[in-house]
Amino acid sequence: MKRRNFLKAIGAGAVAAVAAPAGAMAARNRPSLRYIRPPGSHDEETFLSKCINCGQCGEVCPNRCIKFFGLQNGASSIGTPYIKAREKACILCMKCGDVCPTGAIPKIKREAKAVIEGVKMGHAVVDRELCLSWQGKTCGVCYRACPLADVAIRVGRLEQPHVLNDCVGCGLCERTCIQMPQAIRIVPNHGTGNG
Amino acid sequence: MHPSKPFFLWRHLNKLRWASLIVVALMLILIPFLHLYQTYNAAHAYDLLAPSEKRIFDVMEFLTDPFTSDPAEDLDALKGTTWSGTFWGLRLSDPLAPLAQMAASLSVYWPFALTALIPIVLTAIFGRFFCGWICPANLIYELNGNLAAWLRWAGFRTGDYQFDKRIKYGVLALGLVLSAATGSVIIAAIYPPAIVGREAYFGIAVGGFGAGMVFFLGTLLFDLLVSRRGFCRYLCPGGALYSLLGRYRALRIQRIVESCNDCAKCNVVCEFGLDPLRDGFGQECTNCAACIAVCPTDALTFTVGFRDHPAQGPGHLGRQYKRESGADFEEAAE
Repeated sequence: MKRRNFLKAIGAGAVAAVAAPAGAMAARNRPSLRYIRPPGSHDEETFLSKCINCGQCGEVCPNRCIKFFGLQNGASSIGTPYIKAREKACILCMKCGDVCPTGAIPKIKREAKAVIEGVKMGHAVVDRELCLSWQGKTCGVCYRACPLADVAIRVGRLEQPHVLNDCVGCGLCERTCIQMPQAIRIVPNHGTGNG
Repeated sequence: MHPSKPFFLWRHLNKLRWASLIVVALMLILIPFLHLYQTYNAAHAYDLLAPSEKRIFDVMEFLTDPFTSDPAEDLDALKGTTWSGTFWGLRLSDPLAPLAQMAASLSVYWPFALTALIPIVLTAIFGRFFCGWICPANLIYELNGNLAAWLRWAGFRTGDYQFDKRIKYGVLALGLVLSAATGSVIIAAIYPPAIVGREAYFGIAVGGFGAGMVFFLGTLLFDLLVSRRGFCRYLCPGGALYSLLGRYRALRIQRIVESCNDCAKCNVVCEFGLDPLRDGFGQECTNCAACIAVCPTDALTFTVGFRDHPAQGPGHLGRQYKRESGADFEEAAE
C-alpha cells in the first residue's frame, strides 16, 4: 500500500472512530432505550440538573435494581441511575429518596397514599395480543406481582389485567410477566414526573 | 538568634497522611461489599447464594456482626464516596458537587449545598488538605508517581513537562459552563475522586467498571508519560476549587530560614510541584507535610497565619548565604 493511501485509511479510521460515538451520543432518549428513573424522581430535565452521580441510590437499593448509565444515553446522562424493569424492577422501598442528598430523588414516605401521589415513573400498558389471559389462557401473574393490587391494576374475566390510573410504574408486572416477550410493559414518564 | 525547632510530631504527619489515604481507599472498597451483604440479607436466601457470594456474606458478617443486629437496615448508615456520602446521618459532599449542581440547575438547593459546609470550613482552615489527605485518586496518583520513579531508575524515560498551574482554573470554569450548557452535572465525569469512588462501587457491586475508568486510566498515563502528577497540578477542577477556598488558610507550612541549608529536597519531594525552598507555597499547597518529613535540618514547620512569608532568601546554613554574608561568617568563625 502506498504511504498516501495508508495515511488516508488511517485518517478515515480516526474520523469514524470519533464520529460514531459522537453520533451515538447525539441520539438521546432513543426509543429502543426504555428506562425509568428511581421512584419519585423529578422530570428528566430537573433530574439531570440535580443528580451529581454519587451512586448512593444504587448503594442503598436492597433489590439492586438501580443501575447506572455509561455513555449509552448521551453525555448528560453519564453516571445517572436508571431502572430497567424487565431486568429488575423497583420494589418501592423508597430508600433511594431517603439517601439522595441532591434532591434529584425526593423523599417519599413508604405508604400507599404517598407513593401513589408522589411516584410517577411510568405507566404499565398491556399488549392484549401477547397477554395469555387476554388470549384465553388464565394467567394473572402481573396482578399478583403488583404491590398496589386493585389500586394500580385489577383483573376481570379469565384474570385479564386492566391497568388503572394509579399505576406508579414500578415495573414489577413487567419483570414478572411469563410471556416472552413480555405482554405488559412500563411506558416511561420522564417528561411529566412530579416535578 | 537561635532558630525555633518545629514540633517533633510534624515530621511524622506524612505517615499519618498515608494512613488516612489508605483508610479512605479501604472504605471505598468496603462500602460496596457492605451493600452486597445488605442485599443478600434483605433477600433472606443464604442457601441460594453462589459460593463466591457466600464468601462475601461470611466475611462481611464477621466484620459487622459485633455492631449490628439488623444489617439490612443498620448498614444504611454508611453510604457513598468522597464525592458525596452519608456517615451515620451526617451528609458530607465535595464542595465541587453543590457548585456543579448550582451551575447545572441554575438554582441553589440548600439542603444539598449545606452538606459541603463542613468541608468548606475545614478547607478555609487547613487549605487544600482534601487533595493530600483524603482524595482516593491522589493515593493512586502518588503510587503512580512512585512507579514513574522506579521506571526512571530502570532507564525508561517518563514525562516531565511542566504546564501552567493556572490551567486547572480554566478547567473548573469550563466544566461549570459545560454543566450549565448541558443542564447536567457533567463535571463529575472528569473529576478523578468522584470517578474512583464510583468505579470502585461499579466494579464491586454493579458488575463491571464503567466509562469513567477509561478516563481515569488516561489520566494515569498522562501523569506517567507526559507530566509528573500532571492531572492534579494542571487540570483537576476540584483541586482548583480547593485551592481557591484554601487561599487564605489559617494553617500553612513555612520555611525557617535560619535552619535551611538550601538542599532542595523539599522541592523534589513536593507532589504539587511547589517551591518550598524559596517560600513558594501559595494556594496550591495541600499541607501534605511530605516536605517536612524529608527536610534534613528541620527547617519546615506549620505556622498559623493567613499569608505566606515573603521570600526570605537563601537558607542560613547554605553556602550561598555564607558567601554573601562572608564577613559575618568569618566573625562567627573567630
